[in-house]
Amino acid sequence: MSPNTSRDAGKAHLDTYLHQVQRHLGGLPDAEARETIAELRSHVLDKVAGDFSVRAIEAALDELGSPREVARLNVTERVAADLEVNRSPWRVLSAVGRLASLSLYGVFAFLVSLFGYALAAGLLITAAAKPFNPRHTGLWVQPQNSYSVMLGVTGHNQTGNELLGWWIIPIGLGLGLLLGWLTWRFGLFSVRHMRRTARA
Amino acid sequence: MNTKPDSPLDELGKWEIQVRKGGLGLAVLAVLWPEKLYGLEILRRLDSQAGMSIPEGTIYPLLSRLKAEGLVDSEWVEADAGHPRKYYRLTEPGRGRVREMAQCWRAFAAGLERLLAPMEGDSK
Repeated sequence: MSPNTSRDAGKAHLDTYLHQVQRHLGGLPDAEARETIAELRSHVLDKVAGDFSVRAIEAALDELGSPREVARLNVTERVAADLEVNRSPWRVLSAVGRLASLSLYGVFAFLVSLFGYALAAGLLITAAAKPFNPRHTGLWVQPQNSYSVMLGVTGHNQTGNELLGWWIIPIGLGLGLLLGWLTWRFGLFSVRHMRRTARA
Repeated sequence: MNTKPDSPLDELGKWEIQVRKGGLGLAVLAVLWPEKLYGLEILRRLDSQAGMSIPEGTIYPLLSRLKAEGLVDSEWVEADAGHPRKYYRLTEPGRGRVREMAQCWRAFAAGLERLLAPMEGDSK
């Protein structure tokens, strides 16, 4: 293989690796993702010090880690750093969402967070709306199917049995706040957990 | 599944990794104290001056976090090597932080040294 061909093959190998890293950097803003890629390229070029053979490039890339690992480390560290500045529930949910594509645990954490916040919001809205629309707001269970439960505000008369009645106000507020807080804590824990496992 | 407990040597290795991880942030800030450096230079100095050989892929996320915290700043510089390099330098808050961290570290190390002193020359 001529030196030029070898050089091209080495550079093509590096481009493929960086392209794979970029595919997993979806959790970073575009400008940061581009900068991360540029810095990794610069690192590898420094490492091989002019030897662009496939073997030299491969050795440098091996020391960096697999594209997925490198991307995971960069994204989790950045997302965790953002959370140090602002830990509002929305930012925590957004952080968990940014990490969702990086691992199975990320998907799990995102789905649990979505469900937790949605249920908490449902309970709080129901509790707040009950005094203004008492007949159409509450928690109902269908008489023929005790597994079918309806929570919230509806536009039509419910045929099921209403549970709780006016108690939905204190219980909805209490449970909604508790569930929202637990979901928020779970989100914070998940981001830290994913950061620890990415670093390990 | 075989769940053999870790040998004492493995446990020691894990403990050493934790200690090194704990000091890594301080080490990176300290290595930037005299001058601006790029990623690979930081790795090489950590290795040659402190015997800290860390996985290469971990340095850039760490530098990115330090930058997000405002402790370091960065700039791209066209290098003689033929490609640009991203240099990192300590910011003023970064200099303040590294001083405070160094103070904490020295106090901690001195306390630990006092506890370890009776072991010197004791073969029990």
